[in-house]
Amino acid sequence: MRGIGRAGAHCALTCLLLLASMAANAAEPVRLLVFEIDGLNADLLYQNMDAGNLPSFERIFRENGTVFENFYTRGISLSAPSWSILDTGHHAIIRGNVEYDRYTGHVYDYLNFFPFYLGNARQRAADMPGAEVLDRAGIPLVIDQFGPEHTYQSFQLFQRGVRWTTLERVLKDRFSKKSFISMLEDGGAPPLNQLWARETEVDVGRALQNPAITYIDFYTGDMDHEGHATSQPEALFAELKRLDGLAGRLWKAVQDSGSADRTVFIVVSDHGMNNVAGIISQAFSIPDLLASAEGGGHHVITNRHELSDFKLKGLDPMVHRVINASANSYYLAGQESEYPTAWVDVDGNERASIHLRNNDLNQIHILLQQLARKELAPNVRRAAAIYLSEVIDRHRSGWATIADQLEEELKAEGAVIDREKQETAAIPKKHFSKPSSGEDQQRIRLVQELEDRERERNEYEAYIGRLRALLTFEPDRLRPFTRKISDLVPELSLGDNNSVYDLQNYIVGPAAGGLVLDGSGRLDVQRSFRFVDYFRLLAAQRVRNNPQPALSSKPVDFSITALPSESGQAYWIYDDADNQLLETVDSQGRISVHPVCELREDRDGTVHSTPQPWRAGLPLHLFEDPALDTAGVDRAEWLSQPHTEREWYAAVHRTAYSNAVIGITEQFGPLRIGNVPGVLGRYELRKRQLVQPDIQVFAADHWNFNVRNFNPGGNHGAFFRISTHSVWMLAGAGVKKADVTVPCDSLNFTSTILSIAGKQVPMPDRVMTIPSGP
Amino acid sequence: MRVLLCFLLLSVCLATGQTAPEYRWSRQQVGDSAELLTLFHRGDRDVPLLSVLRDTLADHDPANDRIMYVWLLTYSKLTLPQRMLAAVPFFYWRVSKGSIASAKEPKPLLNMVAPTYPVFSDAARTILQWTLLDPMTTPIRASSRAYRTNEVDHERLHLEEAIGYLRRAPVDVPGALTSAELHTVAARLELRKRMLGGFVSQTRAEKIGEQQAYEEERVRARNWELLRQCAEKTGLIFEPLDLGQPTADYGMLWFDPDAPRPTNPATIAPVWKLLSLRNPWTDERLPKWKGFTADRRFDEAGRLLPADAAEGQTRRLIPLGIYSLLYPKVPLLMVDFRDARHVRNHEMAQRTINEITAGVIGISHFTNWYYYAGADLYDFVASRHGRAMVQTSRLECYSRFRVALMLDSSLAPDLRSDIQKRVNALAVNPLEASPEREFEAAQQRYEHLTEDAADGFLLGRVQKARRAEVADFGRSNGALAWDGFVHLVTFGKYTRRAPSATFATLDRNRRSIAGPITEVAAGAP
Repeated sequence: MRGIGRAGAHCALTCLLLLASMAANAAEPVRLLVFEIDGLNADLLYQNMDAGNLPSFERIFRENGTVFENFYTRGISLSAPSWSILDTGHHAIIRGNVEYDRYTGHVYDYLNFFPFYLGNARQRAADMPGAEVLDRAGIPLVIDQFGPEHTYQSFQLFQRGVRWTTLERVLKDRFSKKSFISMLEDGGAPPLNQLWARETEVDVGRALQNPAITYIDFYTGDMDHEGHATSQPEALFAELKRLDGLAGRLWKAVQDSGSADRTVFIVVSDHGMNNVAGIISQAFSIPDLLASAEGGGHHVITNRHELSDFKLKGLDPMVHRVINASANSYYLAGQESEYPTAWVDVDGNERASIHLRNNDLNQIHILLQQLARKELAPNVRRAAAIYLSEVIDRHRSGWATIADQLEEELKAEGAVIDREKQETAAIPKKHFSKPSSGEDQQRIRLVQELEDRERERNEYEAYIGRLRALLTFEPDRLRPFTRKISDLVPELSLGDNNSVYDLQNYIVGPAAGGLVLDGSGRLDVQRSFRFVDYFRLLAAQRVRNNPQPALSSKPVDFSITALPSESGQAYWIYDDADNQLLETVDSQGRISVHPVCELREDRDGTVHSTPQPWRAGLPLHLFEDPALDTAGVDRAEWLSQPHTEREWYAAVHRTAYSNAVIGITEQFGPLRIGNVPGVLGRYELRKRQLVQPDIQVFAADHWNFNVRNFNPGGNHGAFFRISTHSVWMLAGAGVKKADVTVPCDSLNFTSTILSIAGKQVPMPDRVMTIPSGP
Repeated sequence: MRVLLCFLLLSVCLATGQTAPEYRWSRQQVGDSAELLTLFHRGDRDVPLLSVLRDTLADHDPANDRIMYVWLLTYSKLTLPQRMLAAVPFFYWRVSKGSIASAKEPKPLLNMVAPTYPVFSDAARTILQWTLLDPMTTPIRASSRAYRTNEVDHERLHLEEAIGYLRRAPVDVPGALTSAELHTVAARLELRKRMLGGFVSQTRAEKIGEQQAYEEERVRARNWELLRQCAEKTGLIFEPLDLGQPTADYGMLWFDPDAPRPTNPATIAPVWKLLSLRNPWTDERLPKWKGFTADRRFDEAGRLLPADAAEGQTRRLIPLGIYSLLYPKVPLLMVDFRDARHVRNHEMAQRTINEITAGVIGISHFTNWYYYAGADLYDFVASRHGRAMVQTSRLECYSRFRVALMLDSSLAPDLRSDIQKRVNALAVNPLEASPEREFEAAQQRYEHLTEDAADGFLLGRVQKARRAEVADFGRSNGALAWDGFVHLVTFGKYTRRAPSATFATLDRNRRSIAGPITEVAAGAP
C-alpha cells in the first residue's frame, strides 16, 4: 500500500499537470463523456481493434488516446458490485446483484428496473435501489460531484430519477406507423433496447451542445445481453460493430459540440464475459441442491422464479422474492412461507451467494417442536429443555448486545424519522405527474427515504422482540411447550451469520430416530440431529449430463468464506478436503496465501488446519499457471511470502484467475461506509453486514448457477481473467496516445477520472498516470 | 481481394486439419456475365440440393453481383392426385411418393428480382377465399380452405428446407456465396412467409438474414441447455445429435433403467410436461421393452461417451425421444419412441380444430374475433407452460429434421431406420413427397438446369431480370405495389422492364444500393 501511495502521489501530480494543461486550453471546466458498456470483455475488444475491425474505437483510442490494457474488475465480476465501485470510487459495500437482510428478509434487488419506474411514476421512488443504499451509507455517486444541473445520466443501475421524456419518445417509436409496417413486413419491430439507445444518443447529443453540462454518461447493456445469449463470434462481433459505430458518432458529436478541447471521452466496462466459441455454458441449480434431501431439505428463497419463461408467474415484473418449497424438509414441511431457511443469490451466474439460517436457530426450532410433543418421554423432555437453555445461553451475551445496540440505533433513527416527517409535511401537495426537475426528485427522495426508514424500524423492532423473548425464555422441563414457535423464532428471518463450525456441522433436522440421550442422561447432540457439511457437499457435486468434453463434471470450482482473525482478515478458499487455500491480510495490508488442507473450526472459533507446500491442483491454480510472473523468484518461495496488493497484481494479473487474490479481499473484506457519523453510522454499517452471505460459491469454467432462465452463451461473476478483464480507454482534451500496461482496477478508474475533472478524489493514491500534453 | 481472403480461409482450414465440410458448392458459368452456383451434400454420391443464379456483370468485383433466382432442386412438382387429396378436409396422410422430375426447366423457388409479386398473389388468394369461397356451402369452404392450408404448408416446408441448406453451406470460399449474399437469400426465403415481406429492401434483407442466423444459434444453444437440464433433473441421459451437420441441432434423451431414480418426483412433474413425455420411471412397459436399445459406454464421471467409444463402462439404454433444438421456445419432440402416434396425433388434433372452426363452422377472424382472441389466450398460457403451440414453427422444425435425417450417415443404421419410419408417419400433408423421391429427382432437375445454363436459356432469363431490375430501381414501395398489382391482374403477362439494361447502369445502381457509407465510417473521427 505504501508503494501505491508513493506511486499514487506521482500519478496525482501527473493528473494535476494534465488538468493544468487542459485548463490552459480552455477556461471552462473539463467535461467527461463516459460510455459505459456492460459486460464488454477487454480481450474481445482489443483484439478486434488491433485487427482493424473496429475503425472508430481504433482511431479514437488506439491512435489518439490512452488504453489501459490491464484493467480489471475489482471484487467479483458482477454488474451491481462492479458499477457500485466504478460509480463511486469507494470500496464495495454492494456485493451481489441481489442482497437479503438476514434479520428482516428485506430484499435489495439491484437489477430490477420495473419497481423503480413504477415507483417513480407513482412518486414513490427517486433512485434505483443501489443508489439508495449508497446514499444511506454516505457514499456519493460520481455524478453527485457535478450536481444535477450539470449532469446527463442515462438509464442504468445506479440511476437517479427517470427521464420520462426519453421513455415517451421510445414508446412513441415503438408504436409508430413505421414500426407497425415493419412488423407486417418482416415480423418484427425494432427492439426496445435499440430504440432506447437511439433516443439516448439523441439526448446525449443535446447534452453535448449544452455547455453547462459537464458530466454525461451513456450506459448500454446490449453487449452483456448478447454475451449471455450466445458465444457465436459473428453475433458478438456484430454487437461490437454496433458499439463501434455508436462510439464514432459520439466522438463526432463531441467534435461538433464546440467543446472538444475540454471533453474527455471515456469508455469503460464493468466486467468481461466468459464467451468461448463452440462452448455452451451449463447451469447447475444450487436451489435444487439445497432443497434436496442431501442438501438439507431447505425451503429456498430466490429473487426470481426458476425457469420463469415457463411459468405465468414468471411474467410478474415486480417479483423480488420467490419461495421454492422443498418436498424433503426434515422439520418444516408445509411451512415454506414462514420458514424458508436458505436464501440464495444466483443472479451472478458464475458465482452464487448462500445464506443459511443460523444453525442454533435451527436447533432451537427443532427442540421447541420436540418439546411441544405431548408423548415425549420425561427424561428426553428434561434433557432437551436443558440443552435448549444451553443453546440460548451460548448466545445470551451476543444477542443482548445486538438487541441493546439495535434499539439504540433505532432510537437515533426515530429522531431522523421525526425530522423527515416534519420536512415531508411541509412539502406542498402539488401534483407533479412527470417528476422531472431536480426539485421534484428531491421531494420524492425524501418521501421514499422516510418510508424506508419506517419500514426498517418496524421490521428490526419485530426482530428485537423475538430476541428479547428468547432471552427471557425458560424451557419447561416437565410440561409440553404450548406457545407459538413464531413468538420465539422469527419468521422469514435467518438470524446471525453462521460460523465455519456451523457450516461444517449444520443441523438440517432431527435425526430419524428423534432425540437421543447419552449415558449420562444428557442430550446426545450428534445422534439427535441430522448434519450437513456444506463445504464438502458443494465440492462433492457431480453432473452426469455433461456432454462437452471441455467442461469438468464438477460444477463447483470452490467456495469461499471469511474466517475469524485477530490479526486482520482471513479467508478460506475450499476446493475439497485436500485442496484449500488460506488467504490473510495483515495490519499493513500485505496479502499472504497459504496452501492448507483439512481446515476446521471449533465451536469456540479456534481454527485448525494442516499446512501444505505449494503445488499444482490448489484453488486458483497459481502455482502451475504459466502466466504467473514472480520476476525470476522461485514460485513456491514467492507465493509463500506476504506481498503488497501492487506486487500481487504484477505477478498474477495474467493468470487464469487474474486478480482473484485481491478480489477476495474486496468481496469478503471489512465493510467501509462513508460519512455517516455516530450511532447512525453504526446502524448503516450493521445493515450492510446483515446482507453478507455465509458462503460464496464459484462455478467451474463454463458452468453457471443461473436458474431463472438460460445463459448458454457466456457468463461472468467469478475471478476468471476472461470475466474480470475489462475495458478502460480515454481520449480527447489533450490525452495522448499511450498503451498503459500497468495493471489497475475499478478503484483506479473513478479516482482518475474525478481527478481529471478536477473534482474531489475519493482515493488519491489510486489515481493513474494519464499521458497528456500538446 | 476476395480471392486472397478465400485463399487465406482455405489455408487456415487446411492448416488446422479440419475435415471436409458436409456441403460444397459447384459453379457453372452462364454466358460470360452470370454463374449458376449449386450446393451439394457430400456423401457416397453427392446430392445437389439448391441452385442460385448469380449475375456477375462479367467482372470479378463482388460488390456489384446480385443473386437473381433460387431453385430448390428437391422441390417436387405436384401431381393431380396429390392436389385432389389436398382439397379433402380432414385428410392427413401422404399417399404418394411425389412426382419425378419433368423435362422442363425447374421452376425457381424464389425470384429475387421481383420479391413483391408473391405478396399480391397471396393477397389475391386470401381475398378470393374470404369473399367468394367462404360464403359458399360448407363443402366448398372446407375443401378450399383445406387445399389452401396444405398448399401454404407445403411451400413453407420447402422454404424452410432451403433456408436449412443455406445455413449449413460454406460461405466466403471460392465458388460459394458470400456471407452477405447468403444472408440476403435466406432472409428473402424467410420473408416469403410474411404478409408484406416482399417489400423489405435489399439492404434490410441482408441485416434480417444476419439477425436470423444469430437468433437461430441463440435458440439452439438455449434449447440444448434446457434439454440437458431437464435430463439432469429427471435422471435421463442427454445426447446432442448433429446428424452430420456442423452443429447439434437435435437432442436425444435416453433412459437408463439401472440408473438411480430421481429423489424429488413432485418437483420434477412440470419437467415431464416441458419434455412432452410420460414419466419413464413409472412406465410399466419399459422393464419389458422390446424396441430399440443401445449398449453405450460411460466414463468414470458418468459421462456418456460417443457411440464408437471402445472403453468405459457399458450400459444398455432405451431411447425415449428425439428433439429439435430449433423450435423458438422449447425443445420440440419429434420422435417419441414409446408412442409412435404421440406427435402425429397432436399435429392432427390441432389441424382438425382449425378445419372445424374455419372450414366447417366458418368462424371468421372478423365476425368471431372473440373466438380467436380466446384461442390466442389459450395458446399463450399453454406456451408459457412449455407446450409448442406455433404450428408454423413446428412445421419448420419438421422440414429441417426430415432432410437432415435423410442426409445423415452418423447414426447407427438400425436406429436411423427406426427413426425414419417414425418421421415418415409425421407427414400429414397430402402434397408432401417422400424425401427419398425428392433426392432422386434432385439430380435430374440439376441436370435440366445445367443444360439450360449451357444452352443460353438461363442467360435469357438473366437479361430479362436485369431489365426489370433497372426499371424498378429507385421506385417507391407504392409504385412497386402498383406494378405488382398489374402483374397479377394480367396473370403475369405484364412485367415492367426497361428497354435495355447496360452493365454500367446495373453496376451504378447496385453499388448505390449497397452503399459505401456505413455508420462506422460516418462516425469515425
